[in-house]
Amino acid sequence: MEIGFLKPLYFVVSWVIVNFHSALGLFLGENSHESIKWSLSIISLVIVIRIILIPLFVKQIKSQRALTALQPQMKEIQKKYKDDRQKQSEEMMKLYKEHKTNPLASCLPILAQAPIFFALFTVLNGIARNIPHGPLKGDLLLSAQQAKFFGANLSSTFLSSDTTTQTKFVTVLLIIFMSATTFTTQRQLMVKGMPKMDASNNMMLQQQKIMLYVFPLIFAVSGVNFPVGVLIYWSTTNLWTFGQQFYVIKRNPTPGSPAYEELAKKRALKDKENGVLPEVTEETGTTQIDPEIKQRQQPSKKKKKKK
Amino acid sequence: MRKILVLIIKLYQNWISPAFAPRCKYHPSCSKYATDAITEYGLKGLGMSVWRLLRCNPWSYGGVDYVLSKNTNQPIKSGVK
Repeated sequence: MEIGFLKPLYFVVSWVIVNFHSALGLFLGENSHESIKWSLSIISLVIVIRIILIPLFVKQIKSQRALTALQPQMKEIQKKYKDDRQKQSEEMMKLYKEHKTNPLASCLPILAQAPIFFALFTVLNGIARNIPHGPLKGDLLLSAQQAKFFGANLSSTFLSSDTTTQTKFVTVLLIIFMSATTFTTQRQLMVKGMPKMDASNNMMLQQQKIMLYVFPLIFAVSGVNFPVGVLIYWSTTNLWTFGQQFYVIKRNPTPGSPAYEELAKKRALKDKENGVLPEVTEETGTTQIDPEIKQRQQPSKKKKKKK
Repeated sequence: MRKILVLIIKLYQNWISPAFAPRCKYHPSCSKYATDAITEYGLKGLGMSVWRLLRCNPWSYGGVDYVLSKNTNQPIKSGVK
């Protein structure tokens, strides 16, 4: 599959992979295995893309911080429109817009990755079918054709005719891994990372049920059609998402979320140990993290360093 | 054609989207907006939906944004999602 306007992207993707391949050759020594170099090149490609995308997440975290000041209004909306979820979310979005902040992630960070994903798919298919892309040609193409990831050919798919049992086995393992990472990431976000809505636990349970079979299904249906290299890309990017979210929820939770309250309690305890009187708010019974945070421009650097 | 597109989005809403935590910055969500826009405006609605999806980005503040009805110019507030 070749799409004209994506051609530059094919070049970029193959260029990045080839360069990582030769850089890894220098780094790991001349006798390092080709398979390892090619596999690590794909993983490096993911890391580069995710580093480029980091500013998007920083932006999101910043707007989440600004929510602290909006907490009372948010609670009021939740109370006022308890029985009307549509009105509730309408008012909530209005409030965010008024205050020029919005804690939700939007779809663009995911959609932006789609063309790269597709380009990698094409480049890897090119390897399997001996079609050169950018600098990935000649001897390099031949070398990439032989490359394996735990014994599975990087460029072959579960469904292709010449697939070995080993490739099938690795594909299944990767599908399980991708489902598990996505499941844990979403579960963690819903249980700990989101401001508590008045949605009943019932809904959460139902969501989790859907999650349990939707993720394996999505990954199984697409996974058997994708080359192992694409699955490596996908698994790595999922793992990165999980790690990034884990860090954010632990260190920079969304105000109003259970993780936020946990952190506030932990910090209060620490303050107590240090002999600082904690400031307890009447309404929630939890302790304010730091009054400074309320002013959005001034993240509390002092506290951060403390660990 | 409209029905097929709407059906695909409905499938997404019922089976895929519930598995992920909410992430849309707008009300109604982009998928609801898309079904309304496509039902009301057809192909132009598809374009509107793509534009909405692009507007829903990390630099936007989101907000309330309904599809306007062709005849009455009033926001379409149908359905739950």
